[in-house]
Amino acid sequence: MASARLGAPGDLSEREREAVEALLYQLADDEFVVADRYTDWQCQGPTLEADIAIANIAQDELGHARLWYDLLQDFGYEETELIWEREAEEFRHATLCEQSFESGDWADAVVRSYFYDVAEFLQVEALAETSYPRIADRIEKVNGEEHYHREHAQNWLERLCEDAEGTRRVQAAVDDLYPYALTLFEPTAKEDDIVELGIRPTPLAQLREEWYDLTGAFLDGLGVSVPDREALDDLVAEETGRDGSHTDDWQRQYNELTYTYRMLDRTEARRLMADPDEV
Amino acid sequence: MSDTPEPPTDAQSIPDPTDGPQYCAYTDYRSGEVPEDAVVPKNGADSEGHERAVWDALFEVEDPEMPVSVVDLGLIYDVAVTEDDAGTHAEVTMTLTYTGCPARDMLLDDVREAAASPDGVDDASVELVWSPVWSVEFVSEAGREDLREFGVSI
Repeated sequence: MASARLGAPGDLSEREREAVEALLYQLADDEFVVADRYTDWQCQGPTLEADIAIANIAQDELGHARLWYDLLQDFGYEETELIWEREAEEFRHATLCEQSFESGDWADAVVRSYFYDVAEFLQVEALAETSYPRIADRIEKVNGEEHYHREHAQNWLERLCEDAEGTRRVQAAVDDLYPYALTLFEPTAKEDDIVELGIRPTPLAQLREEWYDLTGAFLDGLGVSVPDREALDDLVAEETGRDGSHTDDWQRQYNELTYTYRMLDRTEARRLMADPDEV
Repeated sequence: MSDTPEPPTDAQSIPDPTDGPQYCAYTDYRSGEVPEDAVVPKNGADSEGHERAVWDALFEVEDPEMPVSVVDLGLIYDVAVTEDDAGTHAEVTMTLTYTGCPARDMLLDDVREAAASPDGVDDASVELVWSPVWSVEFVSEAGREDLREFGVSI
């Protein structure tokens, strides 16, 4: 049954607003944190094209993070409280996003972006049916900037799996990252309301099934194996991110992200120089 | 050049990446037209008074990377000028080509300042929207000329 359309930001009931906020934090934090991680590869990619591609994908994801943080600002939050002054444990991104990269292992970056981008594709597809108009207005734009991320990851997986050493590295990255990839589908405290109110009508559990089928079939075709479906529930990483629990990698990334802000003793995200028109 | 493969001729023939590695899937150039019933972008052609003045000012705002007006680029979806006790207010509705646009704040500031600049307009605000999604077909004929001269194929 289709859910009733929700109202404008100021017209939501408390239950509606809390569910919308929970979903937006999950979406925005995933994009923001994974984008920041991708930039670790900037100037380090194996080829110039790969370098530019991952930097550009990072920029796309930052743009999408901003779209979702904008919708949190509808509720009166400021950029400073959403990012720079939010406590590390208040972030709700899945812990896949925060994992530091295995040094020099491009397969790690490629497998991670593949897992992430297939999940994002499914999430965005589910959000095309959202009952919240402010999200609905943005979905087509996001979708148009996503499809080539999957193409990029799939093309690289195919290239890496052309020989035994590459396949071994991809398999190792799949094995290492799988428990964290599953956290993308772990629910926030508001998951039931998010689904019942039609904000994202498809439950995360169902998206995980679709993700498992898609990624499993593709990797299998490359000679890379994934865990059995029955084993997934036990395999999910202990820190899911969705409930505020994170791995140590996040604290390090958070410190680095906010370092300049804190070092300059900023109490607001200032401009570098005064606006000449206002001097 | 007889060995050069023919480029795909439509969206369906873009190769499926799962068929095997493809190193340049985008060799397909198409042109299209904005449907006659499209509601955006606008260019203020029928406007008058303060709204005309605001449109004229917006034509002077250029994309930070290319010498083309934001109006000719098809970014401006609406201009509305209202008057009340507080004064005369211009409201511009616009989009951007790309969500990750690093010049976002700069461009929105430029548009807001331009919209507030005509005599008789007291202040202006800009609403950024993402629907309908901007496409290259929104670029006006004058904008296409400007872009071609700059060296962008369109």
